[in-house]
Amino acid sequence: MTGPAELAILGVGQTPYRRRHEGSTPELVYGAVRAALDHSGLEHRDIDLVIGGFAPDALAGENCPDKRFLPAAGAVGKWSMRINTGGTTGIAAAYAAMDLLEAGRGDAALVVGVERMAQARSVPAVFNSIFDPIYERDTGLSTVSMGALRATRMMQSWGYTAELWARVAERNFAHAASNPLAHIRTAYSVGDVLTSRMLAWPIRQLDACPISEGVCAVVIARTSAAARQRGRPLARVRGRATVTDTYNMGDRIGRREGDLVELLTLRMAAQRALGQAGLASAADADVVEIHAPFDHAETMAYAPLRFCAAADGPALVESGFGHRDGGGPVINPSGGPMAANPVGATALIRLAECALQVMGAAGERQVPGAATAVATGQGGSTQFSTCTVLSGS
Amino acid sequence: MGESAAGKVPPLTIDGHWAFDYTYYAGDAASRFFAELANRRIMGTRCPQCLRVLVPARGFCDACFVETTDWVQVSPHGTLETFTILTTSFPGLPEPPLVVGYVMLAGASSAVLNFVDGIDLTDPDAAGTAMLGRPPVTARFKDVCEGRITDFVFTLDEPA
Repeated sequence: MTGPAELAILGVGQTPYRRRHEGSTPELVYGAVRAALDHSGLEHRDIDLVIGGFAPDALAGENCPDKRFLPAAGAVGKWSMRINTGGTTGIAAAYAAMDLLEAGRGDAALVVGVERMAQARSVPAVFNSIFDPIYERDTGLSTVSMGALRATRMMQSWGYTAELWARVAERNFAHAASNPLAHIRTAYSVGDVLTSRMLAWPIRQLDACPISEGVCAVVIARTSAAARQRGRPLARVRGRATVTDTYNMGDRIGRREGDLVELLTLRMAAQRALGQAGLASAADADVVEIHAPFDHAETMAYAPLRFCAAADGPALVESGFGHRDGGGPVINPSGGPMAANPVGATALIRLAECALQVMGAAGERQVPGAATAVATGQGGSTQFSTCTVLSGS
Repeated sequence: MGESAAGKVPPLTIDGHWAFDYTYYAGDAASRFFAELANRRIMGTRCPQCLRVLVPARGFCDACFVETTDWVQVSPHGTLETFTILTTSFPGLPEPPLVVGYVMLAGASSAVLNFVDGIDLTDPDAAGTAMLGRPPVTARFKDVCEGRITDFVFTLDEPA
């Protein structure tokens, strides 16, 4: 039997994340993949598997985009497939690669997450089309209102306020200012957040992620193959789990096993992944990259990640938790999805950023001495949750 | 002599358009659910295993992975479990300001999403804060039902 501890991330390549890229999708993919290969020290011929993630086709306006972007990721002549699980697309692609590597399908895999959503001229309308056309779509649901329905419930249940969430946003933007790849690099203040345009009460523009494009690529290998790369840092995969929930958000309202805002699937995924890595809580890690496109969504992950009980979340925010200089785990040193959220790549970026941190290769945004990092993924109306634990070599 | 690959020309863009027409089949359970709306009845289906009454009606319970059995009429009265106030106009989406929310109807185990009408939204912050206490609401049917979830809307039982 092989286990998760025998896999490692060898290299990361990323385009900058921007509102709009002017290159073609295959060119952007090629560039990020080339950079990931160069970082890993592997050659294209060393890659056995190419797994690509691309979110809703209609955002890019290209149906079955896998035809063009997988060859650009180096798939020609190799085992390859495309995966889509909404927001978790990128990490689902990484997990597929890890599973195939563990199954003995090869020694090294290239994983790529791609987003070209700025090609759509009405992103909210495209996002409305991801919802159930029978029972829900007529209500004008979008990803923003979907988030807002959770935020309101968190205000009711645990006493969160717009001011508290603005502090989370302020910290994410402050961290993003040190990340040259981030889309938003302005250190917006609490006041800026609270006076930005209201999108869907209680969510304002700066409570929410921007519309971003970009490509993230990661090279993952069995450590037996990785051992050939002597002298290069590795990010070892210590634990990982993914759990799926019902699509129906209404079924999760008041559910005994876990309410809509209790993120049951992240709780389960974190319990498994942290357990595999021997961590009692994600707070035991040095870095945590939380896949949360809204500030409220970040705080929704605090209890599942075992930072605190759900009701104590507001007090945890008050304490200044998660800041780079706060003494505890650093939350989103990259700035997180609030500073760049290319949907098909964003969950893979969380993994890539954690890998760079434990490799000591995160540049300006490096958390000194980061040895252990936790990355989460959320997709499909918080329907798909993932949790990954990495540690340095 | 070849030219350098670095020689840049302005990025070329090509317009695209994606507007396909579809016919969605609602399925057995939703077809009956919508037919019952025309009778002014909101129906759920009961899971024989977890005993939840799923509203709107579903043909199977995806948690227990068994077919639902009984059809159950639920009350038009319920609780506004959570909501949002749509304040920004987006092309292709309903024109704001609007309130949508999940309502747990009496007798149901799951909440149904729909518009909440009749609320003064001149100050969204005030309106939102006033509705935070899970207020009671009632489903109001439109005069003509078309077989859409919007055949009914919710209204607050007491003004916010």
